[in-house]
Amino acid sequence: MTAAISTSALRKRYGPRAALDGVDLEVPKGSVYGLVGPNGAGKTTLLAVLAGLRRPSGGSVWLESDRRRVAMLPDTPSFDPWLTGREVVDLARALVAPTAPVARVDQVLADAGLAEAAARRVGGYSRGMLQRLGLAATVVGDPEVLLLDEPCSALDPAGRREVLDLVARLRGQVTVLLSTHLLADVQQVCDAVGVLRAGRLLFQGSLDDLLVGRAAPTWTVRCRPPLEPVETALARRPWVTGVERTGAEELVVEVASREEAEAGLVAALAEAGAHVVGLEPRAADLERVFLELTR
Amino acid sequence: MNLWRLEWLRLVRTHRLTGLVAVFLLFGFTGPLTARYLEELLRRFGGGVEVRLPAPGPADGMAAYVDNGQQLGLLVVVLVAAAALAFDAQRESAAFLRTRVRSMWQLVLPKVAVNALAAAGAFALGALAAWYETAVLLGGLPAAATLAGIAYVAVYLAFAVALTALTAALLRGVVGTAVAALAVLLLFGLVESLGILADWLPSHLVGSLHVLARGGDPGQFLPAAAVTLAFGTLAAAAATWRLGRRDV
Repeated sequence: MTAAISTSALRKRYGPRAALDGVDLEVPKGSVYGLVGPNGAGKTTLLAVLAGLRRPSGGSVWLESDRRRVAMLPDTPSFDPWLTGREVVDLARALVAPTAPVARVDQVLADAGLAEAAARRVGGYSRGMLQRLGLAATVVGDPEVLLLDEPCSALDPAGRREVLDLVARLRGQVTVLLSTHLLADVQQVCDAVGVLRAGRLLFQGSLDDLLVGRAAPTWTVRCRPPLEPVETALARRPWVTGVERTGAEELVVEVASREEAEAGLVAALAEAGAHVVGLEPRAADLERVFLELTR
Repeated sequence: MNLWRLEWLRLVRTHRLTGLVAVFLLFGFTGPLTARYLEELLRRFGGGVEVRLPAPGPADGMAAYVDNGQQLGLLVVVLVAAAALAFDAQRESAAFLRTRVRSMWQLVLPKVAVNALAAAGAFALGALAAWYETAVLLGGLPAAATLAGIAYVAVYLAFAVALTALTAALLRGVVGTAVAALAVLLLFGLVESLGILADWLPSHLVGSLHVLARGGDPGQFLPAAAVTLAFGTLAAAAATWRLGRRDV
């Protein structure tokens, strides 16, 4: 698959601090790419450099599209408060796609759920409405690349759902690069992911590649109380790296290798006299992988 | 909607245009009035001190408008321009505009032009008010020379706006931008008062209306007007260049 965005050894320094430190980003065309990382990882800086708002200190940026077909939505969109919602989107249309019909403005406002508020001044909009207005102003010019910085951060669950649905609908037509700290959002809509920490891209690839084989294998054990003897007996096994009680009848057992657990876990539970109700391997989730990568 | 209309709406909906016009009109109407009745005012409120002043002429009416209105008017012009030109003070709204224009000129030109026209227009309105009242209270003014004086001061105010664009490109906040622009304008005035290149400096235009209303030659301000136009164009160009290279 060809790349819509690609960077090579991209660096950005603020004084002595490196906000981006040799980032080689590769965003496949038509994909929804999730950029995750802790606060201060460099996500906003990376998006700002890609949008042309900040100049890199080194390295290179390659965009398949003309820069005017690249639209960016900041994390907290802000507009002149004395403009109406319709005027904001119409200004964006006039600047980016002057040949697009004015009816397109009302269409994207309706898609963003702002049809009734379109004639109101944006100074009276809630934060969620501003976020949706920002999205409307972003998509009105039919961009080829969308850079979304924490697009769901200010939204209630319903608003977040709408935005994620919108992003999911864009897959294949538009390349979306979204930064977020909401890992559930990434799992829902992204087909590629990059993990950024301290300006370095620690991982880049598909979600499956990220999840498979990254986190230490763990098993969920459900058994009747008391759990203390079972917990103690399991913790003594050399291949058990951690035991955590997660419920009145549930333990999570982290093991050094899947093979050793498969060979010895049932026997260890039997020896401990556990009344086992259930036993299953735990699927790796993004949050655990993310924490392990960024620890 | 386009960027020119955006700047016009900024002036109208934020009531900055109203403030701008109100300041110049206020001094336009009160300037000739104080010139005409200054002696009576001093007699009434002077605590019994007898003050004798020469009889005011028509040029004194216009001089009073320029003297009183110029300082506060210039302050308002620079503040209004700074509020429009220091757009990087708000990163998110700056990002909205910056990511949608091909060149920084698209952003800077409407801001400078609309604010300069508003400042010049407000000053001209105030001058016309002062002219009318001067004619009623003190007598007529030479029309061609007075119009030339109004045009020269308008050029100076347009220069003040372009200079504000430059300080906005060097600084980020609205207050800092305005203070820096006013400081540079004050510096020009100081240099002129020292007699250095006095006839060539933009600040020389401030007194043009005063001088021309007294029958001075309009041609004597042409060098300063040419330098002011050149400096203003350079300031706007430098602002555009600098803003295009600034991280947001």
